[in-house]
Amino acid sequence: MSKKPESHYNLDKLHMIFAIAALIMLAAFGGLFMKDYDRSWKDYQRDFNGYEMEKTRVKHDSEYNALKNNKEYTTLLSEIEKAEKELSSNCSDMADLENEIVQLNTEYDLINQKAKFTNAEVDAAKYQFETAVGHHQGDAAATKTTFYNLKNKGDALKNDLETAKIKLDDKVAAKKNCTAKLDDLNRKKRNLSTKETLLLRKLKTIDPEQMSFITRIGNIIRDLPVIDMSNPTVKIKQVVLKDITDDRILTQVPKVDRCMTCHLGIDDPGYATFQQPFKTHPNLELYLSNDSEHPVEEFGCTVCHSGRGRGTSFNTTSHAPSSEKQKEEWEEKYDWKVDHHWEEPMLPIQNAQAGCFKCHSEQTPIKGAEKLNLGLQIIEKAGCYGCHDIKKYKDWPKAGPDLTKIASKTSKEWSYKWIQDPHKFRKNTWMPAFFNQSNNNDAASVKRSRQEIHAMVEYLFKNSEAFKLKNIPFKREPKNGEKLVSSLGCLACHQIDPKDTPTTRDSLRQQHGPNLLGLGSKTSKVWLFHWLKDPKRYHPETRMPSLRLTDQEAADIAEFLGNDSKKDFDKTLVPPVDKTVINEMTFDFLHKMEPAPTAKAKLAKMSLNEKLVYSGKKLISQYGCYACHDITGFDGAKPIGTALTEEGEKSLHKFDFGFVHIDHSKHAWFDQKLKDPRSFDKDKVKTAHDKLVMPNFELSEEEREAVVTALLGFVSERTVKNKKKARTPENLMVEKGQTLVRQLNCKGCHIMEDEGGSIQQSIIDWLVKYKEYERGEAQTIVTSFAPPNLIGEGKKVRPQWLFDFLHHPTPIRPWLNTRMPTYTYTASQLNGLLKYFTALDDEEFPFTDKVDTHMSKAEFEAGEKLFSNDYFGCAKCHIVGDKMPGGSPDSWAPNFALSKERLKPEWIIEWMMNPADLLPGTKMPTYFDPDNFDVSGPDDLLNGDEHEQIRVLRDYLMSLSENPETSPQNESTPPTE
Amino acid sequence: MENFKEIINFIAAPQIMFTALLAVFFFIFPPTDWLYSINRKLGLHKLWTKGGGIFLLVVTLGFFIFGLTDENFRLIVTKADNVPIVGLLFLVIFLLWLCLFQAENNDKRIAEGKGPMEAEDAKEKVLVWPDLVYIELIALVIVSALTLIWAISLPAPLEGPANPTVSPNPSKAPWYFLGLQEMLVYFDPWIAGVLFPTVIIIGFMAIPFIDNNPKGSGYYTFKERKMAISIFLFLWLLLWLFLIMTGTFLRGPNWNFFGPFEYWDIHKVEVLTNINLSELVYMIWQNKALPDNIFIREMYGFAALGIYFGLLPLILAKTVFRKVYDSLGPFRYSVFIVLLLLAVSLPIKMFLRWGFNIKYIVAIPEFFLNI
Repeated sequence: MSKKPESHYNLDKLHMIFAIAALIMLAAFGGLFMKDYDRSWKDYQRDFNGYEMEKTRVKHDSEYNALKNNKEYTTLLSEIEKAEKELSSNCSDMADLENEIVQLNTEYDLINQKAKFTNAEVDAAKYQFETAVGHHQGDAAATKTTFYNLKNKGDALKNDLETAKIKLDDKVAAKKNCTAKLDDLNRKKRNLSTKETLLLRKLKTIDPEQMSFITRIGNIIRDLPVIDMSNPTVKIKQVVLKDITDDRILTQVPKVDRCMTCHLGIDDPGYATFQQPFKTHPNLELYLSNDSEHPVEEFGCTVCHSGRGRGTSFNTTSHAPSSEKQKEEWEEKYDWKVDHHWEEPMLPIQNAQAGCFKCHSEQTPIKGAEKLNLGLQIIEKAGCYGCHDIKKYKDWPKAGPDLTKIASKTSKEWSYKWIQDPHKFRKNTWMPAFFNQSNNNDAASVKRSRQEIHAMVEYLFKNSEAFKLKNIPFKREPKNGEKLVSSLGCLACHQIDPKDTPTTRDSLRQQHGPNLLGLGSKTSKVWLFHWLKDPKRYHPETRMPSLRLTDQEAADIAEFLGNDSKKDFDKTLVPPVDKTVINEMTFDFLHKMEPAPTAKAKLAKMSLNEKLVYSGKKLISQYGCYACHDITGFDGAKPIGTALTEEGEKSLHKFDFGFVHIDHSKHAWFDQKLKDPRSFDKDKVKTAHDKLVMPNFELSEEEREAVVTALLGFVSERTVKNKKKARTPENLMVEKGQTLVRQLNCKGCHIMEDEGGSIQQSIIDWLVKYKEYERGEAQTIVTSFAPPNLIGEGKKVRPQWLFDFLHHPTPIRPWLNTRMPTYTYTASQLNGLLKYFTALDDEEFPFTDKVDTHMSKAEFEAGEKLFSNDYFGCAKCHIVGDKMPGGSPDSWAPNFALSKERLKPEWIIEWMMNPADLLPGTKMPTYFDPDNFDVSGPDDLLNGDEHEQIRVLRDYLMSLSENPETSPQNESTPPTE
Repeated sequence: MENFKEIINFIAAPQIMFTALLAVFFFIFPPTDWLYSINRKLGLHKLWTKGGGIFLLVVTLGFFIFGLTDENFRLIVTKADNVPIVGLLFLVIFLLWLCLFQAENNDKRIAEGKGPMEAEDAKEKVLVWPDLVYIELIALVIVSALTLIWAISLPAPLEGPANPTVSPNPSKAPWYFLGLQEMLVYFDPWIAGVLFPTVIIIGFMAIPFIDNNPKGSGYYTFKERKMAISIFLFLWLLLWLFLIMTGTFLRGPNWNFFGPFEYWDIHKVEVLTNINLSELVYMIWQNKALPDNIFIREMYGFAALGIYFGLLPLILAKTVFRKVYDSLGPFRYSVFIVLLLLAVSLPIKMFLRWGFNIKYIVAIPEFFLNI
């Protein structure tokens, strides 16, 4: 600095400040880039690449060693060496040849280029010429000459090109001829080492040791800040789904899932033992992989799991911890926080199956979603849909019994005690508890509750209709009743004293009806007798079918069940009616409708009984009893609960957590609501009318978890409507049938769609107790005494027969003690079931192919022989009309006399060819070995043609009737020979 | 400690806080000679010395540091949206101190006959380059760097996807409009949202015509323009910034008041029992039904307004503002007094609300006219 410039301020100082400011600015810019560059997912990708590299190295090494030890490969290598030597001796002019090929190639390319350019000129000239003629523009003659000159030139070049090509091809062929043997050997080598080559190729892209120097430097540059915007090696991976959307209130936007940016091993089975985020998905057969039903490219991740698919860090993706422990772990490891701004947090892993419901809401059971299925079944069993509107359960029957004729069934005292505490009478009843709950167990509420129950009981009995109870047979045998109960099939739906085992879908089927403990305390034997004889007479809507009991049978069962009573329950006393409380209560209800003076005046005019009945009706309405029970005076009353159809997607801020200190999440709220339905009233000041009324079902932790899973799944389907199972008539038929099957508890007895047959356990007990089987033996033969497996029923039986059978069951397997009950189906239900069976097996409905089953005399005789004991001995096991086969009943088989009416002819053919294929585990022997079909039948009948033998045997079976002694010719038309 | 927080929470309520500030305001910023002398006697002018500056800094900073130990205080103050308002609070205090510090200095110099500091500066030659441009460049770099650092360390607060069916609670205007929003508590929307903003703009335009005092031009002084500075600071600090601070830090869900150490409970319920002047006069004082005729019903309100805007200016012109009236003349005086009365109507309305639960002076919902 030579001369100080003129200035007001000290310039040196300003320079210093400027320098410092500039450095701060630089640092700020640096920080800006670092912040943008430093993303957690990049670290995960680098870690994963490390694992992937190690894995590939190991795989490559083993593959490489295997190749080296492969004899075929080593000999091939030496052969190649030999061939190479031979080549140099055999084709001495190889080098010349190659040079010539290069030369010719160049010539060819040159001509090709010239030809292309000329062609372009020809096209332009053609246009000039055509417009000159067509539009009379310019000089037509001149353009014509130019065009044709150029065209000739182009044609000449084309000729040259073809000639050059021939020359080139000749030389190439000559070279190929020379190296033919070597090429072949090399191809073989390549085939053997494909795997190794692929692994090596992969290694070259990820393993720095295998990479070329240029690639290594290139990769580093690609990942540098700012430059990494073009094509970095670590980058966000995502799927964009067109037909699954995210709901953004007024618009649907395509779903974008970036989960695989960190969850890199999710679709690679090799990462099953790794920790998150690299761990493999536990069920690749069903999800993610391309040959599964839910490939990741089509479904993504968050459509099932929820969460924020576009997020790329732990917190912005809305992960949800499954437990308090995991929450703490995450808080420590990832600084995890609830993302209040995202309405659909990830489903905690224990509720993950909720995601299935969105698309599969109409199907039940949903295959593979056991917890969700259990939750749905508990909802069905508990009758949640009675108070809460749920679209899936629209028009479902009420969960509880009819109370319109209650006076004939039980006493006021019993009803009082039952309402007061149902679990005291039956510890695991599905009738929930309304009283002595967390919001009404204080002294004042208890005092009021007592009178509330009096009022409700009074209303029910006052409005009870007459139900005539006629005489019951005088002589009744409880022992026989017990035997009947255990053998007729009652235990498919009822249990007497169920054990405390975890609730499963199977155990719920066994509790389809109430359990039968302590019936003597509840009702009279006469009432039981009439109920058993004709359940619909007492309760027209009941799901209890008739088992076509004789008077004596019904009386014996009534005697057996009625003998059981609960002494301690009977002994508890009903508290007396308290007039003051009744007055207060009635006044409260009156006051809600009218001003206090009018209400008071009205109250004064009412008798005690009138007050009770008046309050009773109001209370039944308040507690919503009519949602599960038919009660006089409540026809068409609206459900009292919150609609649950889209409960799973309701905004969190619409849930009232009150003063209960739980996690602010939907699943925690649902769980708390189910655990203690009244708990959100805690510390709130409320009148008796304002209190929460949801009753307590006393669900276990597992049951609650299942129900919470279902509730979380209740969401709108608008984001996935293009992905749902097509609404074809067949699918609708199956879904409607599944609903009926659950409502009627068909699976309590029958195995359908691979599940059910819940009754079998009780049949084993029956076999042990009454048939003196050993337990182990009973377990092996239980299927012979259990109701049939209905797999393939639609394929097997004629719809008309099934219609008649369901309408009025006739015995097919007379050795079974279990009875197919008579349901009083509506036409819609019957059609629903028939369509369900046919749709399930992809059969035509209602008409099937007409099959000609007429036989010639010779055929008839052949059939008779095949049927006889000399050949297959069909009648050894099968019943024919009233003729029973020999041997023990556990080897018996259905009645042939019904075949013509019952079975589809095509099915019989398939059945005889391979019974085990249609009904795995069947007792029917395989007469025609499917592996050696052509030699499996007898050779001396029908020219040894197995197909003919089966057809003739089928036609013979179709000719059998109730009376096998009658000549079959009389039944069918005479032989046509 | 909790008790202290309780006390602060209590004091922070607008009724108390505003009244207290109003009570001391004209002693700290005295508009008249009499108040000025009291100000001197009390030694309040010492706030504008270096020691006073340190005192102000220590008090505000101390309060914030203490406050940050409280979870609720921290939650509100460190919210990314609110951080600038915290900065604003410190900046306002600093700049206010800086101006008045210089003004005090100049006043002293003028009293000694030396002329203001700025006059000394004017004697020196200052060049555009490097004295102006270089400093501007440095300022540019520093401000840019600070903005970057701020953006990195306190990212923009991203919220959930837009949902037109859900309004946030509390729904707050941008910070610079929070004063207007706070006025909505006391005035009908058309007054707080339309009339007042318009009047504020017109008022700014009118200042050069109303303020004809040539003193203080180009230099800081307090003594020579007591009235003007006092009125301006009253409007700026109490009727604008105070409302912004209240709106930012002390208004929670449902626009309920919450003390600085109070949890913002969305379920908090406050008593709302406001009545109109007509109801107060007829129903409570006279125990009569409201008249059907709108004009009879609202006549007291109209009368009050008539007195306020019609009679009061005349009285003031003869008494308190006699000097002002003399110097401005009738026309400019009317503009000045109407603007001033409009501004003062805000604290009046506030006190009417707090003291008598008055909702509107004139309430004619039939014509959507509420004053």
